[in-house]
Amino acid sequence: MTTTLEHTATSAEPRGGGLARHQNFGTAIVAGVILAWVGWFVARHLFWSGSDNWSDQVATMTATGWMIGFWIGIGAFNAPFRWLVGNDNSRDEDLYYAGYKQGRARYWKYTTDHKVVGVQYIILTMSLLAVGGILAMAIRTELIVPGTHFVNQQVYNSFIAIHGMVMILALIVAVAGPWGNFVMPIMVGARDMAFPRLNALSLWTLVSAAFLLVTVLAVGGLPVGWVVLGTISDQAGVGMDFFAMTIVVFTVSTTVASINLITTVITMRTKGMTLDRLPIFVWGTMITAVLALYAFPFFFVAELNQILDRTVSTSFYVASGGGTSWLQANLFWLMGHPEVYVILIPAVAALFEISSVMARKPLFSYKTAIGAMVALSGLSALVWAHHMFTSGWAPTLGGPFMVTTEVISIPTGIFFLVLVGTLWRGNVWMRLPTLWMFGFIFNFIVGGVTGIYLSDIPLDEQLHGTMFVTAHFHYIFVGSVLFGAIAALAFWFPKVTGRFLDERLGRYSFWLVFIGVQLTFGAMFLSGLKGMPRRDASYSLAFEHTNFISTIGAYIIMAGMLILLGAIITSWRKGEPSGPNPWHANSLEWQVPTPVPLENFLEDPVITQDPYHYGEELVRP
Amino acid sequence: MATSSTKRSLTRFYWAWGILTVVGVVLSIWLPHRYVPRMMSNDGNLSLTTMILFSVLAAPVASGVYAAALHIMHADRYRGEGVPPAAEPIRENTKLLVTWLTVSAVLTVFVLVWGLGALAAENSTSGNPLVVDVTGQQWVWTFAYPGTHVVSNELYVPDNREVEFRVTSLDVTHGFWVVNFGVQVDANPGVITTIHTTPDKLGTIEVRCEQFCGLNHAFMDAIGHVVTPSQFSAWLSSQPQGA
Ligand SMILES: [Cu+2]
Ligand SMILES: [Cu+2]
Repeated sequence: MTTTLEHTATSAEPRGGGLARHQNFGTAIVAGVILAWVGWFVARHLFWSGSDNWSDQVATMTATGWMIGFWIGIGAFNAPFRWLVGNDNSRDEDLYYAGYKQGRARYWKYTTDHKVVGVQYIILTMSLLAVGGILAMAIRTELIVPGTHFVNQQVYNSFIAIHGMVMILALIVAVAGPWGNFVMPIMVGARDMAFPRLNALSLWTLVSAAFLLVTVLAVGGLPVGWVVLGTISDQAGVGMDFFAMTIVVFTVSTTVASINLITTVITMRTKGMTLDRLPIFVWGTMITAVLALYAFPFFFVAELNQILDRTVSTSFYVASGGGTSWLQANLFWLMGHPEVYVILIPAVAALFEISSVMARKPLFSYKTAIGAMVALSGLSALVWAHHMFTSGWAPTLGGPFMVTTEVISIPTGIFFLVLVGTLWRGNVWMRLPTLWMFGFIFNFIVGGVTGIYLSDIPLDEQLHGTMFVTAHFHYIFVGSVLFGAIAALAFWFPKVTGRFLDERLGRYSFWLVFIGVQLTFGAMFLSGLKGMPRRDASYSLAFEHTNFISTIGAYIIMAGMLILLGAIITSWRKGEPSGPNPWHANSLEWQVPTPVPLENFLEDPVITQDPYHYGEELVRP
Repeated sequence: MATSSTKRSLTRFYWAWGILTVVGVVLSIWLPHRYVPRMMSNDGNLSLTTMILFSVLAAPVASGVYAAALHIMHADRYRGEGVPPAAEPIRENTKLLVTWLTVSAVLTVFVLVWGLGALAAENSTSGNPLVVDVTGQQWVWTFAYPGTHVVSNELYVPDNREVEFRVTSLDVTHGFWVVNFGVQVDANPGVITTIHTTPDKLGTIEVRCEQFCGLNHAFMDAIGHVVTPSQFSAWLSSQPQGA
């Protein structure tokens, strides 16, 4: 494409748009609520109220109504409908949908510009982190002393499930969402994603699903744990139906997003952007997208089965009907382990990018880094049953799954080699992204090493199901992924806003969160070693001190995150101006103006070498 | 000039590596001994040994990365104003890569061999175990002793004899975990899963549910006792028959 939408527009002011002019987040919620009510009303009369399944049928219809209403209300169906009736969008209308000259309003609409979608993902991630974080604080407050004081067991049991799933959603999109959308297309020299409307679709389907997930708390909760094991979730109320519908829609969202991302990287690279010149972050997000395409459909099927069990009395997971909870567990972990790498790899890839820029040195072992990410993704498909070592399912497969799981330490080790190798003997610029990167390195070692304990079956038979596991994956998710995500935010914040993220507040935040993580999850390891099971609303006196420390640590993390939130808000509005390329980096996203114009490039860029040529000769085209 | 400064700072790196490794090894031995509950079976002992062994092995690796990170923060930090100049471009170091891969592969293979060996040892059975039928239901454990009519909510096992737990559930999935034996297996409705272990110390043991099972999951505990064989027979015969 050589001409931009903007150039072919027939008018300086955006024209067209039609119905879309009146659609936004607000109308989406209104339409969602209306159709949810319609679904509820119809289902109550349509289905026989004497059936055991009645409440689940009503809940599923209500949730379906909400989703469809929300999508209609936001405008997701406008363009497909126009296409169906043979009256496709005009250029002007596409320009309108891209958010042309609509100011801030475009962030609350079904906008197709990838940069707007990226910012929407930032807001979504922060909202999910806020909800999950509040639940985390409630959980830790309950656990500050033995006994149940602050929330009752029923509420606590729902909180742990919703905290878990909300945080998983938040982290899945924390890096790939904002930066896979905002900077990735610019990095490859594209004017937008391959399918801009699908991009908006993936964002807004996810928003509709996230709302439904939080609503679970208002309809009786989900006292089953986030892994929604077949047998226990059979006892859950309509919250389980909402949860299952959330996952079904979430899978649609990730599938659409992944296909879009992969297609963009394969087909939209600019001249000279060969695969061996591709920024490592692009490699990381593409590998992640492939892995997501593989992983999440298992979750889709797992939850679809659950919906069928509940609404039409199939027995996929119900032992009394000949089903087995192990089927649910297998499907869940077929998704659940790869999902960890869907979360981790974008953060690591972003840190690779940051390490080279901040060390003013080429990325160390570029090809090995790609190989490690590919190997990790491939292996992650073959390890799921390590979550089921003690479930009693297929004990003879324990050995093989132990082998595949432990081999993962080799590509994971490469990540450290690449990061440390890049920084080593560099001229390391100690700015905010660098600081969070060092935090990542520290915490990821702890999370990685403790993972080896859990992969060893004889040892797992002691540690499985305990707070040790909880501490282990929080070192990965909070200590590593969140640190990587914040480093990425600090790094690309100037590209989005034209301003630096406040260095001073960012540093306060770093130290609080870093110390808080060590206290919270360090002490949690000890609780686990002592024998405290996960998901307990109360505990015996033996676990008193370590839990107290964990709770204090959690408050410190919260203080740090609030300071970070303050930094983001104040810097966005009146932070120190950064100019278009504050880090003097070489990749394409830094070569375009800030704010980045619609369609990014006035002329298609030509690439002659990879973006890591610090201290090397420039290659002239 | 670059060479001499690198040499001087590398000494610090090695010192940091050494000191952190020593600290790591001390923690690796001290923390499990301090925090892990008293282990009272062959599998429990093996868990503790494995934990300490893996920690000791991890100590130099983790310390190496930490020392490198600290070294970078100290020696490679750019202390000037503004944008740092480009550093010497080092894109590859085959020797380092091969060393790194070899070390991590050797460690992985060691951990695997150790683990698979321990797993095989754990799965081998004496052939004459005492069978205990364990049933989980929301939110109690019951223990039955086949061949007798004894049904109890406290677990009694004799020491130095292999026990086989045959575990099932009447409702949802529970997790049968004998904390001091270092073994656990899920209690699934409609299925029997088994684990076995050989107690080797006398005393009180704790049974907990480690699979989330609803409202009172946190309170689904049971007390157990490892007793001498004669005490065990005495206990069995003292129980009301046919409960
Ligand atoms: Cu896993
Ligand atoms: Cu239980």
